Amino acid sequence: MNLGTMFKKNNYITVGGKRESRPEVPDGLLKQCNKCKAAIYTSEVISNHYICPKCKGYFRLPVNKRIEMITEPGSFDSWDEGMEVCNPLGFKGYEEKVRELQEKTGLEEAVITGSAFIGNNKVALAVCDGRFMMASMGHVVGEKITRVFERATSEGLPVIVFACSGGARMQEGMISLMQMAKTAAAVKKHGDAGNLYITVLTDPTTGGVTASYAMLGDIILAEPGALIGFAGPRVIEQTIGQKLPEGFQRAEFQVEHGFADAIVTRDNMKNTLLDILRLHKVKRIREGMPDAFVPTSFEQKADAWERVILSRKKDRPTGMDYIRELFPDFMELHGDRYFGDDPAIVGGIAEFLGVPVTVIVQCKGRNTKENIKRNFGMPSPEGYRKVLRLMKQAEKFKRPVICLVDTPGAFCGMEAEERGQGEAIARNLLEMSALKTPILSVVIGEGGSGGALAMAVADQVWMLENAIYSILSPEGFASILWKDSKRAKEAAEVMKITSHDLKKLQIVDGIIQEPKEYTRENMGLVIEQLEELLGKFLSECGKKDMDELLQERYERFRKF
Amino acid sequence: MVQKILIANRGEIAVRIIRACREMGIRTVAVYSEADKDALHTQLADEAICIGAAPSKDSYLNMENIISATIVSGADAIHPGFGFLSENYRFAQLCEECNIIFIGPSSRVMKSMGNKTEARNTMEQAGVRVIPGWNNPIETADECKEIAAKLTYPVIIKAALGGGGKGMRTAFCEEELENAFLSARKEALAAFGDATVYMEHFFEHPRHVEFQILADGEGNVVHLGERDCSIQRNHQKFIEEAPCEAISDSLREAMGAEAVKAAKAVGYVNAGTIEFLLENDRDFYFMEMNTRIQVEHPVTEWITGVDLIKEQIRIASGRKLSFTQEAISFTGHSIECRINAENPGLNFRPSPGRITGLYLPGGKGIRVDTAVYSGYEVPPFYDNMLAKLIVHAKNRKEAIRKMKSALGETIIQGIDTNVDYLYDILSEMEAKVLVE
Repeated sequence: MNLGTMFKKNNYITVGGKRESRPEVPDGLLKQCNKCKAAIYTSEVISNHYICPKCKGYFRLPVNKRIEMITEPGSFDSWDEGMEVCNPLGFKGYEEKVRELQEKTGLEEAVITGSAFIGNNKVALAVCDGRFMMASMGHVVGEKITRVFERATSEGLPVIVFACSGGARMQEGMISLMQMAKTAAAVKKHGDAGNLYITVLTDPTTGGVTASYAMLGDIILAEPGALIGFAGPRVIEQTIGQKLPEGFQRAEFQVEHGFADAIVTRDNMKNTLLDILRLHKVKRIREGMPDAFVPTSFEQKADAWERVILSRKKDRPTGMDYIRELFPDFMELHGDRYFGDDPAIVGGIAEFLGVPVTVIVQCKGRNTKENIKRNFGMPSPEGYRKVLRLMKQAEKFKRPVICLVDTPGAFCGMEAEERGQGEAIARNLLEMSALKTPILSVVIGEGGSGGALAMAVADQVWMLENAIYSILSPEGFASILWKDSKRAKEAAEVMKITSHDLKKLQIVDGIIQEPKEYTRENMGLVIEQLEELLGKFLSECGKKDMDELLQERYERFRKF
Repeated sequence: MVQKILIANRGEIAVRIIRACREMGIRTVAVYSEADKDALHTQLADEAICIGAAPSKDSYLNMENIISATIVSGADAIHPGFGFLSENYRFAQLCEECNIIFIGPSSRVMKSMGNKTEARNTMEQAGVRVIPGWNNPIETADECKEIAAKLTYPVIIKAALGGGGKGMRTAFCEEELENAFLSARKEALAAFGDATVYMEHFFEHPRHVEFQILADGEGNVVHLGERDCSIQRNHQKFIEEAPCEAISDSLREAMGAEAVKAAKAVGYVNAGTIEFLLENDRDFYFMEMNTRIQVEHPVTEWITGVDLIKEQIRIASGRKLSFTQEAISFTGHSIECRINAENPGLNFRPSPGRITGLYLPGGKGIRVDTAVYSGYEVPPFYDNMLAKLIVHAKNRKEAIRKMKSALGETIIQGIDTNVDYLYDILSEMEAKVLVE
């Protein structure tokens, strides 16, 4: 029923004058989101960290807003101002364009550098502003970046770079290309001196900047949805003659492909930087800890096969459960920087008793869905390469490494072979044997062969009482030796894979007692022992000379 | 006087406002979502503009589109009704910046009254009695325990940005406190995006009494008596009456004066409501201020004879109040029932759908404010109130009987409603007054 046409409408007579001023939208009050196209209230965008309140898309940030958002008020001290833009190619109109942009934006060039405080941490800072020729890198940008690293190296400061760039600056030709080499070399010197470098990739970071200083951070963070890549999407589409899929080259894609540690939203950026800075301070455990953890003797009655079953039980705590209980401030870092991020291994940094540590954990899933995501705890080569990358950082920043081992074995699949599973494991054994920082490994569930050993070339190796550590699964062992996988139970007995057997063989240094029916619900007893073990390990190793520690680690495996 | 008003709302309140405008000779612009193409407000207004898809966030909460519709239609004022953007100070601010008259108080006042702890502070400073409580945000459970001990149990923990009963938890003893604190914070964060909570002493059997005020731009403030909204389900009112039977003339005078004081303290302009808790029918405490027209405004209209919507429009046009406090008198008793599309047998589950048959009551002292008609399809996207049934009679007993009789002849077919449930409650109320 259409009532509208039947209702009688008023005949209006306007008596008296209208209001003098009519409603109108003042200029700049509303703007259109360039992502979702909706009209949005400008002040709401500004108060919301320059994020579209409707689609949550990120707007590019003016450099001063960026500095304001992450540093302490008034602490920013600008470096290397007043550098003249040069025109090495004599490119027509280049100087005019630069001058025009300088007037329009109030910026001298596309990057601002300086020092500032984040919390009570003094840092060197370089922030790019895309409004200036898409923050492309010419001589001045390259020079300012280089000088930041040089000065930070001499002052021993961490560097934080907010990258945003279209790439090299075409107008400066080969001089621009050389900036890539120059900046990379400065990053190298800064890193070799043991300093921390954090990059934050913002929309867009492409071309020669991606292929130089932007991708070289110890920690690489990215803003949600940021376009990050070497070749621009248009160039790729033209080259391959295909449309690129949704999300290609976005920040999320980079994390998935192992090139960024984490995606951080703007409201979390300052706190994340604070956490990273805190976790990169070198600290020793306080004095007064007794040296070694000696658990009281115990032995649960169970045969080898029963322990195999227990080690694989569905409700047994997984790696993530230990992270939650032992390292509440754990910050996960992703990716191997080559190919991908392996969810079967979770690695990151955390504080334990006030000491920053690197934590690397093999993770099975807590349910089928999570198991599929984590490949049932079977790591791929990119997982082991992530382990190595994080261990190398631990070495650089003098953080002890804590490994928790729980895997049926390294993943046996075509892709794993294609990417060099054997090489990845071998590389870890080699590097771990001489890694200049203490390593503690604890087998918490299954210690499946080489896949486990690639995280267990450690100064000390411990096991939970009902964990197993073996050359092969009992099923596999029975099938190879006796051509009958059904004899797994028998195999388990002869293989000597239980904690008590391996303690006798000196494969492991000690055993952690488990409660009967150990599940996620009753982790207390195990966690208490692990806390004590970790505390004492850190204290004990902290006192040792590095050469002595490495020699002992060498002997530990040399003896077999 | 404003010439053309855009009504940024839907349902019966939009229709109510359009009717007032029609009577005043003011042009009306309705805005509607894609789901409300056939809604009554869309059809009754002089013009109607579609402002987005069915979900509220895309249409009735879409500030930018509503502003655009206002500019395009040439309206000079927006009436926000209740719910949706009516208490969103940013929207009021946006109107101010665009030189659009927002029919309500200023964005500044809305902001200060919208934050409950800030409102408490303001009122306390103005010498208005507030519920004993702790005005500052509470951060930790330990802090919570300390404060609770001072306030005496039971206590109630409330979300600073709260409303609609969300983010509220009571604790009768210290053992219950930590849980209450944590779950209130969690719910507050989920519902309002902000976990800030504060605490008040909890009155177990209070009356919820609110005073209607009107204030013009020249500092004149009057109150229009009280409404008793004690009958609630899940902190949602559904039967309201005026006057409140527990309030004597002298108490009304004292509470009214306090309400006027509160409104003056914040520099309030337009229609507003001061909510009080009344304990033991004697002690009253400021609870919060609603900076909009209320759902239950018709009961006040009936006992005072004042058309509140028209007064809102006059005040927004810059007119002075045309009457003083002395001129306001109260006649008879009025009750309102909210008729909702819901099934009381299924935990009041909403029941959208097509109304296949409709018979609404009428006669002396009966008013129905609704936007439904026979054949109307109740959309599932919005509040499920279908109609307000309001009665007026000489005294409370007669009003109850009139309401019961009116509910008894209300027929809404095709969807589930709470009419029978209301009828049962009115029967109980009737039995009670007969005993007295």
